[in-house]
Amino acid sequence: MQFPGPAKPPTGIVFDSAMDKIDDALALALLHGFEGRDEARIAAIGISNPDLKAAQFCDAVRIFYAGAAGLGAGSARGLPVGLAEGRSAGASTMLSAPVRATVVKSINDTADVTTVIRNALSAQYDRNAAAVLSGPATDLAKLLDMYGAKDLIAHKVKVLSMAAGAFPDGPPEPNIMEDIAAARRVFAEWPTPIVAAGYEIGTASPFPAASIEKDFAWSATHPIADAYRAYRPMPYDAPSWALAALLYAVRPKENYFQLSRPGTISVRDDGRTQFTASAEGQHRYLILDADRKERIIRTYIEIASAKPVEHKKKMAAK
Amino acid sequence: MITGKALPRRTFLRGMGTAVALPFLEAMVPALAGTRGSKPPVRMAFVYVPNGIIMDGWNPDYEGQLGTLPRILKPLEPLRQDVLLLGNLTHNTGRALLDGAGDHGRCCASYLTGVHPLKTLVDIKAGISFDQIVAKQVGKQTRFPSLELGMEDARQAGDCDSGYSCAYTNNLAWGSETQPLPPVLDPRALFERLFGNGRAMTPEDRARENLYRRSILDFVGDDTRKLETSLGPADRRKLDEYLASIREIERQIEKAEKDNAQIDPHMEKPYGVPADFAEHFKLMTDMMTVAFQSDLTRVITFLVTHEGTSRPYREIDIPDGHHPLTHHRNQPDLIEKVAQINCYHLRQFAAWIARMKSIKEGDATLLDNCMIVYGAGLSDGNRHLHEDLPTLIAGRGGQYIKSGRRIVYRKETPMCNLFLAMMDRMGVHVEHFGDSTGRLDGLDLA
Repeated sequence: MQFPGPAKPPTGIVFDSAMDKIDDALALALLHGFEGRDEARIAAIGISNPDLKAAQFCDAVRIFYAGAAGLGAGSARGLPVGLAEGRSAGASTMLSAPVRATVVKSINDTADVTTVIRNALSAQYDRNAAAVLSGPATDLAKLLDMYGAKDLIAHKVKVLSMAAGAFPDGPPEPNIMEDIAAARRVFAEWPTPIVAAGYEIGTASPFPAASIEKDFAWSATHPIADAYRAYRPMPYDAPSWALAALLYAVRPKENYFQLSRPGTISVRDDGRTQFTASAEGQHRYLILDADRKERIIRTYIEIASAKPVEHKKKMAAK
Repeated sequence: MITGKALPRRTFLRGMGTAVALPFLEAMVPALAGTRGSKPPVRMAFVYVPNGIIMDGWNPDYEGQLGTLPRILKPLEPLRQDVLLLGNLTHNTGRALLDGAGDHGRCCASYLTGVHPLKTLVDIKAGISFDQIVAKQVGKQTRFPSLELGMEDARQAGDCDSGYSCAYTNNLAWGSETQPLPPVLDPRALFERLFGNGRAMTPEDRARENLYRRSILDFVGDDTRKLETSLGPADRRKLDEYLASIREIERQIEKAEKDNAQIDPHMEKPYGVPADFAEHFKLMTDMMTVAFQSDLTRVITFLVTHEGTSRPYREIDIPDGHHPLTHHRNQPDLIEKVAQINCYHLRQFAAWIARMKSIKEGDATLLDNCMIVYGAGLSDGNRHLHEDLPTLIAGRGGQYIKSGRRIVYRKETPMCNLFLAMMDRMGVHVEHFGDSTGRLDGLDLA
């Protein structure tokens, strides 16, 4: 039931990623930036790579942004970070930077990733949530198995925006390759429209290293900037797969990208994606126009690097 | 001489509208060991306290084997080997989920049902509670499928929390999604239910009984004497103790009735309800003990006071209402009072658990064959949090649970996972309940 109340809040974002590539970390900054502007809300953070450091990093980023907004670490009453169970393949180099503050000390300070996504969705207005996936589709495929979850997703989620595949054709894409069976299930059974940001989108619109040194400099201890520097020797420009998927999910009507015709995405045995156009298809993929690239990168920089407005000032302005 | 004969488990002492069930006696065990049905049954109970707990005084700062317990759990320290503490269990369905204020209504209604209740004052809707799923199956073997007990306020209508009907705050057990099962509050009514012959006592019956001040044990005297001749010394002693405990309950009820008549003959509460909280708690739990001991039921829910209660605790010099105190705004003096109320509840509970432990049953104790969950639908009552709910299990569920430990699960672990595990233990196998994601593991692992 949705009891009559105030107007719908901004879209609740469920962000599930492996948190092992720098675009995942940049997308997390972008998400906090959108939340700071009241354009989106962080409904749940899920991590498909079962590495505690990744959960500590996401929690530290949360605490960092809360602190920057003049709020205490405990002020945000959101759900805990969801972390997949299993054996970690090892933490990403970007997580080698020291985590400055986190309440995540052990796996018991995290939640089962599918449970946390399910619980987050249960608290969203109908069709006022979006799922953003960067990484293997393992968690979302497991979510489909959860009792009642398909129905919940169908009611709450307006779109699944996922960094996956290569369109219209391309080599096997790493996120798909990591769990082909899960990707197939999600494309076949996810009960809402799906928009894919293919490999070609992320490589064509990279996040510039120069922005890290300049735009993130408002804090000497910015965890995203630290991760960026730790990921690879500077300077390097970072592909933006996860950023593209998130940007579309939050601002679907801003025409940053063109959308393909509707159709169906399937996954071949070798991990390559195949798009088959059909009028009744629920799937589309993003298409990047060269003349929109600059605007997209500018948006990434502006939102991801934004210093949060102090909570008191924000409240006073309302 | 060894024979295969045994006293039937469902033997009653009868007489004059009275039926007193017997505790588990050695004579009920067929002489040849290993005979099917010789093991005492597993029982379960839920003891629910409202308005959350001061969690700093509940959660130990360690996991594993229980040692020194925090302040609120201190009364259980002598019994720590019989207790399993569970951390991080959550009821997501108790959260607002877009329904606004009303956490007290929701947390109580969702506690055993695992569903998000409909916010309404009239057309109430929650779900069948898991104790009733168990009762519908296991209850066929006992006189009462379940007992629903409480100590305060059985109102079923009106607004008890921000648009939630009192049916949500004042009941734990639900027979169906629209049928809460109101708790019995009056010890006299419960006593008559347990030991009556199935029909309610008429005022004339009660007057006759009062006139002669007769105990129900007087009515079953003939049956008792006959039975005693066929029992061994250990069983005779056990029966004596059991009947003495029933007589003691009668005395307590009579005392409460006498006291109430002297204090205020016009008081609204049922005549047999003691004015003192601890006395009332003891009476109710004494009868729960007898009900379990004599296998009158295997399923009990006990709503100590109703969710959101503003009951004062003058018994411990706290005249303030419980609920207002829990919104303490981090003021130390108010937190201290809430903690004292929490401790007071635990003292009563621990005394009951000690009594359960003192009763031998087969090779173990009555407590060993029970799973008694003590908990609340909120953790932090000030912020109305539905995660890390204070939860403990006393007893071993028939030598299954490895007690004496604290297990901390991952955050957001559904409380309904515990219910699935408990249903398994009760012999009721259900694949899914409420928002469960699987069976809670680790209860039987040391």
